[in-house]
Amino acid sequence: MNRISEHPILGETEKGQLVTFFMDDKMMEGYAGEPIAVALKAAGLMVHRYTHKAHEPRGIFCAIGRCTDCVMIVDGVPNIRTCITPLVAGMKVQTQDGVTALEVNK
Amino acid sequence: MKRYDLIVVGAGPSGLSAAIEAARCGMSVAVFDENAKPGGQLFKQIHKFFGSKEHQAKIRGFKIGETLLAEADEAGVEVFLNATVAGIYLDKEVLVQIGAAMEHFKADTIIIATGAAENMITFDGWTLPGVIGAGAAQTMMNLYGIKPGQRVLMLGSGNVGLVVSFQLMQAGCEVVALVDAAPKVGGYGVHAAKIARCGVPFYLSHTITKAEGSDCVSGVEISQVDEDFIPIPGTQKHFDVDTICLAVGLSPMSQLLKMAGCNMVDDPRRGGQVPQVDENGETSIPGLFAAGDVSGIEEASSAMIKGRMSGLAAAAYLGFLNEQDKDNRLADLEVALDSLHQGMFAPGSKGKTFAKTDEGIAVSQSLLKKGYLDDADIERFIHRPDQTIKNSGIHPVIECTQNIPCNPCQDACTRGCIKVGKTITALPRIDAANSCTGCGMCIASCSGQAIFLVDEDYAPGYASITLPYEFLPRPQKGELGTALSRSGQPLGHAEIIDVRNAKAFDQTTLVTIKVPVEQAMTARFYQPKTNAAGQSGKKEIRQ
Repeated sequence: MNRISEHPILGETEKGQLVTFFMDDKMMEGYAGEPIAVALKAAGLMVHRYTHKAHEPRGIFCAIGRCTDCVMIVDGVPNIRTCITPLVAGMKVQTQDGVTALEVNK
Repeated sequence: MKRYDLIVVGAGPSGLSAAIEAARCGMSVAVFDENAKPGGQLFKQIHKFFGSKEHQAKIRGFKIGETLLAEADEAGVEVFLNATVAGIYLDKEVLVQIGAAMEHFKADTIIIATGAAENMITFDGWTLPGVIGAGAAQTMMNLYGIKPGQRVLMLGSGNVGLVVSFQLMQAGCEVVALVDAAPKVGGYGVHAAKIARCGVPFYLSHTITKAEGSDCVSGVEISQVDEDFIPIPGTQKHFDVDTICLAVGLSPMSQLLKMAGCNMVDDPRRGGQVPQVDENGETSIPGLFAAGDVSGIEEASSAMIKGRMSGLAAAAYLGFLNEQDKDNRLADLEVALDSLHQGMFAPGSKGKTFAKTDEGIAVSQSLLKKGYLDDADIERFIHRPDQTIKNSGIHPVIECTQNIPCNPCQDACTRGCIKVGKTITALPRIDAANSCTGCGMCIASCSGQAIFLVDEDYAPGYASITLPYEFLPRPQKGELGTALSRSGQPLGHAEIIDVRNAKAFDQTTLVTIKVPVEQAMTARFYQPKTNAAGQSGKKEIRQ
């Protein structure tokens, strides 16, 4: 797991309520209020989107809403910076392919 | 359109400091910040700060952030979050995006404290998921409690690269190597020594030539570089990593100042495009100020002082502070700022090479190349003419060998064993005439974790060494582990004979180990059997 259960200086990280959300039709868990990207990282997901022309993978890069590398489709809206957008229960997050949702093989 | 006496852009250390000073002078102050939380990068800084008392030395960054927020609140500063300043127009009109709305505000003075953005370098595969900025690593682990990766390679040996490497290990990640194209470590030697003694190898004059992996990072290739920073063919080394962390400097985010029409200069020493400012941060536009990293890359301590200076200057500009009071208060702040601007790492020392310290001692080349002091360095610095050191009974050993602005050790010792003097960049000096009680306050107060208590007479044939420890699990008395050298090499068995956690130590655990007396001056770290520092299995591989 990628979550730090206890930290030598910070102790335990304060967390919101444990909620479920959808990631490309798969149910996942995360804490309400933490950035979507953090919940995805905790689950080990690295690829947030593929670029339009070269179809190259992109993920978290700056984590402060500056670089836009981590954008995804959230509740149907593309180009949402997942590193600064808080997770809400029941959110529908999709891997972005160019500016549309990636077709997921079920 | 809402009006304020002062609008501050950026709620980081500099912006908040400016807002506090101005509000205390009676000004109505609004602070806009694009983030959801105020404090800028302060809440990601979990290490103890350098400087002296007036700079809040030995206090961890996030605690300083908490104090600033409380002060701002008390002073009546209005902080707008998720509020991105999109434009500054004539007569100090400010356009702010709050949610989906664009709102106009007007002020009589403006302070821009937007800080800086991380620099990046490119290499094959640099866009792969798993290549991240050092700031991203700090955000993930120190704000959101998540590991940036399991095995990390750090590029950049400035203070950010060094501090974040240590924090990665504190978060439970393994740092496989620290790489820098420069021929010497850029940041404080004490920060380098902290990670070297955990066993992290340093590769100076090396750079990343390839990030490997198809959908995300699975490895990294580094190569040695020549004097022109060109990779030398045939020198490639490979590491299995899932994360590559880039700490290659910062650039001022000065776009708003440029947009406002301030005179700008391109100053590499200040980090790039910066506004022309006077000593209080006033730009070429009267009543418009710049404070903190946006007007020159430094660090949070000086950013806070510069913020305070701009806040006072803005108050005086509008007549909220009389000239006499302004001059007096600015003079005090200038003294505080000046003391941070001394020594080997001062803004004016950028690019300079120092052969000797201010005390005339040859600097450690090993520290600059490998991150740790070698035996000759120890001999030269510990047994130097201006200090007498005991080799019996408990006594401090200070491995602080560069002129950096820091002096909490002097205040920590109530017995007067440790002296820095008025110039806070002077090396701390031990006065053996005063007797050490072994209280350990010097160890806990040293932001660089460079102080150890050594007792060569602990038991026949054995010495005790007390060292700072900031990893989990905290060692237990009676536990058996391994003593590590300054370079992180195993020296032999070490038994934990004491573990101290006091409130005054502020999360730094003081661990006392028992080692053969021959290791009294070589053992400097402790590795538990079940490795806590995240450097699992590495010792075996490296031998």
